Amino acid sequence: MDARRTLTGGALTVLGGALVVTLTGIVLHRDGAEAAALSATVKGTAATSRGVLPHAFLKLATYPDSMAGAHGPGGGVHPDWVTYGPTSALKVPAHSLVTITIDQYDGGETITNPYFATVRGTVGGTMTVDGKTLTKTSPDAVGHTFTIHAAPSNQDPLFVSVPLPAVAEDAPVAPNSDYPAPHVVTFSFITGGPGEYVWNCEYPCGDGYYAKFGGAMSSRGYMSGTFTVS
Amino acid sequence: MRPMTITTSMDHMATRTRGFSRRRDVRQVVALWAVLTVLGVVFGLFVPARLMGPPASPTMRGIEDTMTVFSVAAAPVAAVVWAVALYSLLVWRHKGAGPPETDGPALRTSRPAAVLWILLSSVLCVFLLVWGLAEMGSVATAGSRNNPMVVNVTGNQWVWTFDYPDKGGVQSDQLYLPVDQPVVFHVRSKDVIHSFWVVKMGIKVDANPWEVTQTSVVPNKLGTFDIRCAELCGLLHADMETSAHVVSGAGFTQWLQAHGGHA
Amino acid sequence: MSSAELASRSGCKRTEVMHDDCRTGKGDTMSEAMVKHGALPTAEGGGGSMRHLNALTAVAGGVALAALGWLISHHFMQTDDPETSDQVVLITLGCWAVGFMAGIGAFAGPFRWLLGNDLTHADEMHLAGKDQGVGRYFRFTTDHKVVGVQYLIVTMVLLAVGGTLAMLMRTNLIVPHSNFLGPQTYNSLVGLHGIIMVIATIIMVTGPFGNFILPIMIGARDMAFPRLNALSLWLLVAAVPVLLSAGFMGGIPTGWSAYAPLADQATPGMDGYLMAIVIFAISSAVAGANITTTVLTMRARGMTWTRTPIFVYGVVASVGLALPALPMFMAAQVELAVDRTMEGQFFIASGGGSPWLYQNLFWLFGHPEVYVIVIPAVVALMELTPVFARKPLYNFNAAVLGIVGIVGLSIMVWAHHMYASGWAPDLNGPFMLTTEMISVPTGVLFLVVIGTIWRGRIWTTVAMMSVYAMLWNFIIGGVTGIYLSDVPADYALHGSMFVTAHFHYTLMGAGLTGAIGALYYWFPKMTGRMLSERVGFVSFWLVQIGFNVTFLGMFAVGLAGQPRRVFTYPHMFATGNFISTIGAYFIGIGMLITLYNVISSWRSGLVAPANPWGGKTLEWAVPNPIPLANFEVLPVVISDAYGYGEGDPQPPHWRADPHSPATPELVPAGAGTTISDTEGSPQ
Repeated sequence: MDARRTLTGGALTVLGGALVVTLTGIVLHRDGAEAAALSATVKGTAATSRGVLPHAFLKLATYPDSMAGAHGPGGGVHPDWVTYGPTSALKVPAHSLVTITIDQYDGGETITNPYFATVRGTVGGTMTVDGKTLTKTSPDAVGHTFTIHAAPSNQDPLFVSVPLPAVAEDAPVAPNSDYPAPHVVTFSFITGGPGEYVWNCEYPCGDGYYAKFGGAMSSRGYMSGTFTVS
Repeated sequence: MRPMTITTSMDHMATRTRGFSRRRDVRQVVALWAVLTVLGVVFGLFVPARLMGPPASPTMRGIEDTMTVFSVAAAPVAAVVWAVALYSLLVWRHKGAGPPETDGPALRTSRPAAVLWILLSSVLCVFLLVWGLAEMGSVATAGSRNNPMVVNVTGNQWVWTFDYPDKGGVQSDQLYLPVDQPVVFHVRSKDVIHSFWVVKMGIKVDANPWEVTQTSVVPNKLGTFDIRCAELCGLLHADMETSAHVVSGAGFTQWLQAHGGHA
Repeated sequence: MSSAELASRSGCKRTEVMHDDCRTGKGDTMSEAMVKHGALPTAEGGGGSMRHLNALTAVAGGVALAALGWLISHHFMQTDDPETSDQVVLITLGCWAVGFMAGIGAFAGPFRWLLGNDLTHADEMHLAGKDQGVGRYFRFTTDHKVVGVQYLIVTMVLLAVGGTLAMLMRTNLIVPHSNFLGPQTYNSLVGLHGIIMVIATIIMVTGPFGNFILPIMIGARDMAFPRLNALSLWLLVAAVPVLLSAGFMGGIPTGWSAYAPLADQATPGMDGYLMAIVIFAISSAVAGANITTTVLTMRARGMTWTRTPIFVYGVVASVGLALPALPMFMAAQVELAVDRTMEGQFFIASGGGSPWLYQNLFWLFGHPEVYVIVIPAVVALMELTPVFARKPLYNFNAAVLGIVGIVGLSIMVWAHHMYASGWAPDLNGPFMLTTEMISVPTGVLFLVVIGTIWRGRIWTTVAMMSVYAMLWNFIIGGVTGIYLSDVPADYALHGSMFVTAHFHYTLMGAGLTGAIGALYYWFPKMTGRMLSERVGFVSFWLVQIGFNVTFLGMFAVGLAGQPRRVFTYPHMFATGNFISTIGAYFIGIGMLITLYNVISSWRSGLVAPANPWGGKTLEWAVPNPIPLANFEVLPVVISDAYGYGEGDPQPPHWRADPHSPATPELVPAGAGTTISDTEGSPQ
């Protein structure tokens, strides 16, 4: 066989294959990519058990459907899925006090694992719900949880879990809103060194015939996301 | 194939040369086998266990020894195959473009080789089995002696949690263990199947919904070790990890008390 | 002795050099000659409704029935709960398969039979693809040679898709926390890659070579049940889009093993998976029964079991093992479907079911399955080793017993995948015993191969080098399998990347390498063209080096504790994963070059002589292109096909059967020129 033809043909096949892989990769990357990250805003410093640290703030919300949040005006592909908002990609500074406020708009019932009905890993082991300081909530009225965890090797351990009390089923829709008035949950924790963590909800609020951890629970961008300490 | 024409005297010579070359072949293959065996043994002694890292329990020590012993035992067998293969490529390869012009010797079988091969591989197989059974026995009794401490392990989609029923029900997202104290894990799952894996302690058992499985260990090394999930359990399987802290007895009591438990 | 001599003995004179491209179907010169001489009636007018059915009508039928199924089921099940959407998806996919099979004409035969119209000879000729050119590859064609080529194409498509997914997975893992693919996309790719590759590797030897080569090798004119042969192929084709549809319905987040109850929780992508498995299991059962029957009943006169080529044993062992194994898998998936759509609770512990039931059913299939894949691939290499070593197959009887031993033990080892599951820990010891015992018959196969190359005249073609690659890879795969068979060691290694590396060494390092070796060996017979050896060596080294780099890196991170099926990992595993990914790119490039070689050689490669390698099995005695009925005169076998170096000149191992039915004398004896097939090198 003509050597030059073979070389050209072989090279073209390899390039063609690489092109197919690249294009598929681009499509899948877009499909599975997280929305743009939300960075915590740093405002002043705070005195903590580990000395005076920068104080960073994040504001999140949970919704009973995807009409709010990062899924576009029509609610995206799954308008009926529960979701966190405004985005699932979160960024906070290292060695800081981080205060997160979550507006919890969703209802709920009994959580599968009562472990997550207790506040874990926050400063003082507490959170405030609508101004009241609590260390846990009733396992039978949990809406969602906000649980940060990850691979502890090569980075500082970080485990924070906060239950978000459920909004009552019969709560009236608030004026100028699509949803009832939310529970406002606030909690603070101290970050260590830089690291890549994840967060997810531990209240089974997704689809699936079994254990309700499918659908929104099993799709990054809805009830789970990344938590970058940098 | 193309017929060969050989005269009787050439045939005679060829037979003699063949006899000579056969002995030389065997000698050289054996030499090659010895070299490859030594290389394999050295690899077996130093590589697999080292890649697994320093063990944190007698169980893991036993597993690393198993890896080493099996590697060393496999080396001479693999070396037979590779020595013949390598030698055939170096010496018996037909050089030139077309097909070989003559056929090789019509060697249909060789009873000693077959008997020896099957006998040796059976002996090796029995050895592996006996070794494994003995090792299994020592693993099974590792933590169940000397009044072990019970730790409940719960797998939940993507987070491990622990509680200490004998110690006032202390709950934790990380595992704390006193050094040299036998411990039995009662492992269960709240949803799908997970697998509780303390890597450097060499223990692993699935967490099943509605069933309690057990595994036990005696941690004998102070330090922090990785706990992972070894069964695909959905979205964040990769991040279903936490730490096992092996601390002194006093340190453990202190930790329990700080978390509302008792020793 | 040259096969030209054999050919002249059988009364088969080749009257022209056949340079025409076999793809065009002009290759049926022998059959045309048969027609010209009035030996056979023409296919004119045969076929009936089958004349109008092909792959296009099949797709149309599938889409139409699927649309109908969707509309009806969607209309009558208007609730939003997940079970309902699963019901709709399953009904739609089932309708696709039935419509597709109707559209290809799978039901035409039984339907005509029901109406009392048996097929005429002309119908049979049409079904066999006579005079249909390239079109016969897109029809419900019964000729085993057409089915073999169709299987080859399907295998290559599946390998290409699965390989693309592998490249994407490795790219995602090139650095920790790469964020290239999200976790749900990655997990889906893991499952899709796994099941696509499992299906591709199950069919990669028994499909193309078991259908194309095996009947000729045993001296048959076709398979025992030619229509079942076409049925098995088209069922497989119907299953491919069903499987791929999973990727568009949320994927398969469970890995290829689809463990319940994770599979009960998954999105409708899971339904695509389980429906594809059900269809594939039927296809595989049909193919297995057919090949087994063919070998049992249609071997040439005189082909006793000791004269039957070892490849035939390997294929029968593989499909025979699949016969009981795949129904286990199918049963598990049917139960999963009932769980998902009708709250069947088979695998839901809270409802009285058991996840361990799934695991048992799955591995009752899953462990025999790895031998379903590996045996025919290794045995194909054993078949070609004597040809390229110019020596008899060493210890044929041991080879047969080795295969039988592996088959027998392989159905008793399944629970070694469940040592750490907590199910019946008392059984761990017995399963360790059976698993370690399997190393004895496997070792015998190694003895056969090294005994065959011992003092041979080693002709290092790409096919022969595949034997050497197998000897290297399969030893590593086997030894690492012994670590995993040890219960305590498995507690450390189960579920880690070590396992992934181990089974890639067996299924890819031995299995796929064997299939590629077989392709280089039999391609000239299947297509009438030689695969380029030079291009072949480039791809061979790229793939083999890339493969070893990839999976040795994976062994290292597995030993260090990296779990398998993870979309990201801590920095401690970064080096090993980076090395693995670079190695994987080399595999990808090498495989693409193999693909190029197949395409370019098929189009314009060197025209192959009938027996380019000087092989002695019967497939090398038929001319290129192979006549529709394979043999003008059926052979009688008088010895086995491994008599290299025995006698000078070697006595023939077969002769023409004086009682051969349907022996049209094509040309008067002595007319035309005889082409010597072994003169000169194919290169």
